[in-house]
Amino acid sequence: MIRSWLGPRRGEWAARLADLRYTLYLLRRNPLVMVGSLLSLFFIILALTANFIVDPNIAGEFDYTKKYFWSNRTFNWGLGTAIYSGPEYFFLGTDGYGRDLLKMIILAIPLDMENAFIITVAAAAIGVTIGALAGYIGSVVDEAILRITDVFFAFPGLILALVFAALLGRTIPTLRLAILLVWWPTYVRLTRGQILAEKEKNYVEALRALGVGHLRILFLHILPNSIYPILVQATMDFGGVILTFSALMFLGFSPSPALPELGNLASDGYLHIFEAPWVLIFPGLTILLIALAFNLVGDGLRDVLDPRLRR
Amino acid sequence: MKIYEYVIRRLILMVFVLFSVSAIVFYLARGFPTAVAPWTPYITGRMTAEQIQQVIREHGFDKPLHVQYFYWLQDIFRGDWGTTGLWAQSRPALEVFFSRFPYTVELSVAAVIMTVAIGLPLGIISALRNNKLPDHISRIIALTGYSTPSYWFGFILQLVFSFYFLSWGLPYLPSSFAVSTSMIGAVPKVSGIPILDGLLAGNLAYTWDAFIHLILPSLSLAFISLGYLARIVRASMLEVLRQDYIIMARSKGLKERVVIYRHALKNALIPAVTLTGLFFAGLLGGALITEFVFAWPGVGQASLLAVFQGDSNFLLIYSLVMAAIIVSANLAVDVAYLFLDPRIKY
Repeated sequence: MIRSWLGPRRGEWAARLADLRYTLYLLRRNPLVMVGSLLSLFFIILALTANFIVDPNIAGEFDYTKKYFWSNRTFNWGLGTAIYSGPEYFFLGTDGYGRDLLKMIILAIPLDMENAFIITVAAAAIGVTIGALAGYIGSVVDEAILRITDVFFAFPGLILALVFAALLGRTIPTLRLAILLVWWPTYVRLTRGQILAEKEKNYVEALRALGVGHLRILFLHILPNSIYPILVQATMDFGGVILTFSALMFLGFSPSPALPELGNLASDGYLHIFEAPWVLIFPGLTILLIALAFNLVGDGLRDVLDPRLRR
Repeated sequence: MKIYEYVIRRLILMVFVLFSVSAIVFYLARGFPTAVAPWTPYITGRMTAEQIQQVIREHGFDKPLHVQYFYWLQDIFRGDWGTTGLWAQSRPALEVFFSRFPYTVELSVAAVIMTVAIGLPLGIISALRNNKLPDHISRIIALTGYSTPSYWFGFILQLVFSFYFLSWGLPYLPSSFAVSTSMIGAVPKVSGIPILDGLLAGNLAYTWDAFIHLILPSLSLAFISLGYLARIVRASMLEVLRQDYIIMARSKGLKERVVIYRHALKNALIPAVTLTGLFFAGLLGGALITEFVFAWPGVGQASLLAVFQGDSNFLLIYSLVMAAIIVSANLAVDVAYLFLDPRIKY
């Protein structure tokens, strides 16, 4: 009996669809969001197809005779650049292992994107669940969870991640775990704040009066109504995670110095920055573009979804 | 709740946070699988095997980790923070920390000044020309700022402003260190902050040298953080501009300039003040990578060296001081809110 009252009312789906359409319209009107979306789409497609575009096995083929070479036809970096005049053409030059840098960057994108996706989703899932429980239950549980997040906010995240990575060893899964460890508390705070505001609303009381269970109210009614800021945060964190992960790699926590990963490729270049600046510049530029693409989308979403700025 | 009750409650919580931070860092740092034993910093070459055993017993290195923690606490309450590893010539950790801390303070202050000087106008312009070209440009600058890998940007700045400018014969900026090597020791160390020491000693050449060394690292830090400030200022400015009292001010016939700078900006700045305070606190500890890139002799670079050498003593003092700074900054910001915004009550 009660179940049928709780289903969507007639016309509700139509209203939601209209709302979604209006949101998409607002997004389309913003040129920067369009640029960001296209760019992120490009990187996602590139990440999914990279292993078909470039043979992944060439990452293991080192040819030290072609180390730090630049094809002169592309651009002139100045004196001291080793110019390659052989039959091959390296669009972005070669790296310290004599591999084509452009191919290495393409091969590196899937790993970085996969990491960012896994870490963001895991951090959001953990943080949102804990934060939602803290906000909904309140009292002692809330206080205890808040104090735990206090501890995590109180020290520089990178140091904790570094120490953790140093402790557990240099493999991709442990680096993921290290970043996850410092990332989830943000979502706890964010979700808790949202839930606190939402749970005082009348519809929650109505649901309670109808005898709907707490977990059901929390996860099927309150949470979906306060999910937008979390979504925005997650979109913007995607870039943040790529930056942090590549920074860890750059600082030397890479499992292997030849691993095609953007921060790792850049770290290969910094000791040779004067004679081979491209080895540092292009991987870093790729990181910037990926992060910028997702940040543009997230920033646009935040503007569009903010009810106060909406109409 | 009265303000002082609130502050006391927060201070008690701060003690809890500090203990937790020290415990976490202790377990992680002492559990390091490093090549050197944790008691190495305490022994010198002239010690006999028996004396080494005594050192190990004294600091509890033969006990399990959770017991060692209490030995460490006991040492701290006696004022003994232990010694650092080889990277700082095994000097006492406390001394190493506080000889390096002024450099980090100098860099953070410079970075905050630059962040506010660029980020604030950017945010205001963005809000006043909402969804027009200036807003888009400011948005791109802001978002590029926080999408930039800090290590990469630092090296690019060095490459362009030190290396290429030098090779093109333009006036170039120094790429690393806080003062030139030839200038080290030119003025007496009073505060430890190079610019301040140079001014105190009246040595203008030294002050200038310290100043030009500061430009690139602080620009690198500011570029990354000014975006956050610009976005926050924009959001809160938009919020304030929609409020009734602004309509009232406009309908009184006040000039637009007066409405914006006298009436709107004051209220819109409250979140910006908070953010700037927290930035400053974060910068005091968070400039790890920038300090590493620019070989800046501050605590951030030191903590990186300490991580690589598994130096638990330095990491402990570093994370404790950082935690204390960040928690106090949060508290200061919350208390400042009470005075800035009379609507807020605790």
